[in-house]
Amino acid sequence: MKTKMLILFSFCSTLLFANDKYEQVMQTNIQSIYKAQTAEEMQQSINTFERIGAAEKSKWEPFYYASFGYIMMATREEDGAKRDVLLDKATQVLEKASAIQKNDSEIIALEGFIYMMRVTVDPATRGQQYSGLAMQTFGKALGLNPNNPRAMALMAQMEFGTAQFFKSPTTSACEKATNAIAMFDATSSVGPLAPRWGKETAMQVAKQCQ
Amino acid sequence: MRTALQLILLFITSTAFAQTRISGAVTDERGAAIPGANVSIEGTYDGASTSLEGVFQFETSETGAQNILITFVGFKAFRQLVNLVGEPIQLQVALREEINQLDAVVISAGSFTAGEEKRRTVLKAIDIATTAGATADIAGALNTLPGTQKVGESGRLFVRGGDGSETKTFIDGMLVANAYSPSAPNTPSRGRFLPFMFKGTSFSTGGYSAEYGQALSSALVLDSKDKAELNQTDLGLLSVGGDVAHTQVWDRASVSGKIQYTNIRPYFGLINQEIDWITPPASIEGSTAFRQEVGEHGIVKFFGNFNHSDFKLNNHDILNPNQKTPFAYANNYGYGNASFLQALNDSWSVKGGLSYNYNENNIVLNDSPIDEVEKAIHAKLVFENTVSDHVELKFGVEQLQSNYEASRIDSLSLKQTVAFSTPISAGFVEAELYASKYFVTRAGVRTEYNGLIDKLNVDPRVSIAYKPFTYGQFSLAYGQFRQATQNQFLRINQNLEEEKAEHFILNYQVINNQRTFRAELYHKRYANLVKFINGNPEQLTNAGDGYAQGFELFWRDSKTVRNLDYWISYSYLDTERDYLHFPTPSTPSFASAHNFSVVGKKFISEIKSQVGVTYSYSSPRAYNNPNSESFNTGRTPVYQDLSVNVSYLPKPFLIIHLSVTNVLGRDNIFGYDYSEAPDSNGNYLSRAIRQPAKRFLFLGVFFTISKNKSVNQLPNL
Repeated sequence: MKTKMLILFSFCSTLLFANDKYEQVMQTNIQSIYKAQTAEEMQQSINTFERIGAAEKSKWEPFYYASFGYIMMATREEDGAKRDVLLDKATQVLEKASAIQKNDSEIIALEGFIYMMRVTVDPATRGQQYSGLAMQTFGKALGLNPNNPRAMALMAQMEFGTAQFFKSPTTSACEKATNAIAMFDATSSVGPLAPRWGKETAMQVAKQCQ
Repeated sequence: MRTALQLILLFITSTAFAQTRISGAVTDERGAAIPGANVSIEGTYDGASTSLEGVFQFETSETGAQNILITFVGFKAFRQLVNLVGEPIQLQVALREEINQLDAVVISAGSFTAGEEKRRTVLKAIDIATTAGATADIAGALNTLPGTQKVGESGRLFVRGGDGSETKTFIDGMLVANAYSPSAPNTPSRGRFLPFMFKGTSFSTGGYSAEYGQALSSALVLDSKDKAELNQTDLGLLSVGGDVAHTQVWDRASVSGKIQYTNIRPYFGLINQEIDWITPPASIEGSTAFRQEVGEHGIVKFFGNFNHSDFKLNNHDILNPNQKTPFAYANNYGYGNASFLQALNDSWSVKGGLSYNYNENNIVLNDSPIDEVEKAIHAKLVFENTVSDHVELKFGVEQLQSNYEASRIDSLSLKQTVAFSTPISAGFVEAELYASKYFVTRAGVRTEYNGLIDKLNVDPRVSIAYKPFTYGQFSLAYGQFRQATQNQFLRINQNLEEEKAEHFILNYQVINNQRTFRAELYHKRYANLVKFINGNPEQLTNAGDGYAQGFELFWRDSKTVRNLDYWISYSYLDTERDYLHFPTPSTPSFASAHNFSVVGKKFISEIKSQVGVTYSYSSPRAYNNPNSESFNTGRTPVYQDLSVNVSYLPKPFLIIHLSVTNVLGRDNIFGYDYSEAPDSNGNYLSRAIRQPAKRFLFLGVFFTISKNKSVNQLPNL
């Protein structure tokens, strides 16, 4: 009887341990993707996320962060065509995340981020299609979670750019940036794997507003 | 004690058992290191990324038979089964490249592709809409590319010594029987389909795929847009009319509709016209598009439009200009196109479509009516199979049926009717074979059976492309092309065979860093052209023939100057034909030896405007002067045109667009009409064919109403 209990106990602990392992590895790797500076470091983190994603099957976070990593790589890529390839990869892995976690505000905000980056490849040609799409997608993300600071920050950035271009008032964009910063400050007690990036974007917009 | 032992055993089994070290190197097929590749034990956390030198190393506690998986963007995934028993494993892996990469060779002979914004293309979809002088007409924009001849009085695409009827338009693979709006004699017509409807345009000046038939010289392949993503309402106020459009979007479907009214009447009051209008052209047009996504990658599309246009003018006799003949013209046009695309599995897909075309012309010339009705239907089914990433196979069947009926009231007030139908059944098969990323062959064959003349034809088409340089590549194409004789001749003789052309093309193309250079050399042979027996237009044979040859250059640069994009095209054409009424082989009047154009576009952010300039030049064209002893030896003056346009964006949802053609007001002459009979001195009198107005000025104000105000109609212009 004691033995059986013991086996049961150790079985449970392996399970617990497995779950701990997921969170632990994820946390370490999330830190490294935030800190990554070079394309090599980013690719390395992305690869780890993709391996975890392939092993876990029911977790959306690895794909979310892999997608985020590809977007970060895209922001540093000079060649437009190569930037598109990275954004294709970002889209591809994000689709895996949204297949697991449907209608998630964070995933949808990241989708909007990809559209925003698509514009930068060729603003003259893509401006209309993708900037509208990006704004619509950020709106959708905020519809699902009105307190998603990342969706708000990205929206502020997009709106600020548009207002600057047309030399129209930036009031609405600046309000959004301020709101986003407030949201970032309010949402400190989220899960260990929850996204935390984006405050700098909001701060930058707010700074330009002054 | 026993429990403790068990516990230790359990601990050992679950953690410390047999760590296996796996290491190795990953390269491409030519042995170059691949950094950043993802190496893993499939389905576990264990793995590593390759270093800058392409090497990796990691340890795993997994045991037994496991798959090692190596992946990297642009390469095929590599899998190898290993047995993990604690013995170190050393791997040397060469990943195989996927062919569909950015830098793979493409078949470029004869073809200009616009759109598909992700690939390195020569033109973008938006270029067609923003070219000055084109006034948002697809053919107008493509006329600035090499291979085309400017024929100002027609507005159609004349390609490499072919006339306007030799270029055929396909929408989503389906043939459009009457792609141009009607226009008054000697005035340019516009395409019926606006550029903003399409996500991609492929303009081929020769050597095109076996999928496209019934086009002798050129295929204009238009891919309509997929599902719309944004709800919006668009309003346009134009100097020649107005339009309103609305798009409604659902999760997997979208529907849009547009109504447009065009009336040049007020405009013609303002600007002096060469034409003696009784009622200048007016038209009303409605169109609708529906998109439904099906399954994982499938889509069903429907597009339909209806157009009514009419005008009335006086033709003046050349000998006696005071003698007027009224000419009235009305056209009713309907077009419907339904198509679908569905992936059957990873390697097979099927697409198909059905299109219907109704075109009715009612002409009243000097009080005697002539009516013409053409109904055309086209059904098509195509299967595509990706055999491997080196082999693509495509095959399909088509049925085209065109019914034509013309009637007129003769001098005895009797109705005379001619009617015939042309059924054409076709099948094609084509394979694209990549020997490597640098060498591709496309070989296809098209068979067509024309039921009207009871004739079966088999036409081979082959292209190869070779990329010896990082950015530069060569391409060669050969093909046989056919098209049924035009209705105006079949009306007289329904036994006329299809006209035939053979194309030989050599192309060199470099695309690098937003700069493109193309050079192309070609030879084209015509056979079975319609010829009048002894100059009698009522007696027709297929005895005509001809040739066209030349070379073309194209340069585009969007890089050197910030926000400036320009392209330069030059075409040299040498062509002669022995056809129709020609007594000897001669250069047709629509052909010009030298065509040159420069298109420039610049976005000036200070004034929030995009400014465009287009300059076009055509060398003199031949015309026949009946007062001269030799045939077709008259030469028109050169053609020159400078056009500008400005799109001003004061607000994100508002655009003001102004365009002016022929800013310098040059009096271009396209040819001469001669009196049918000589005057009292025995001379035939001439009248120059001129532009209807020296300049065409267009002003439009476009609003977009949508939930977010950052959307505007710029791509539509």
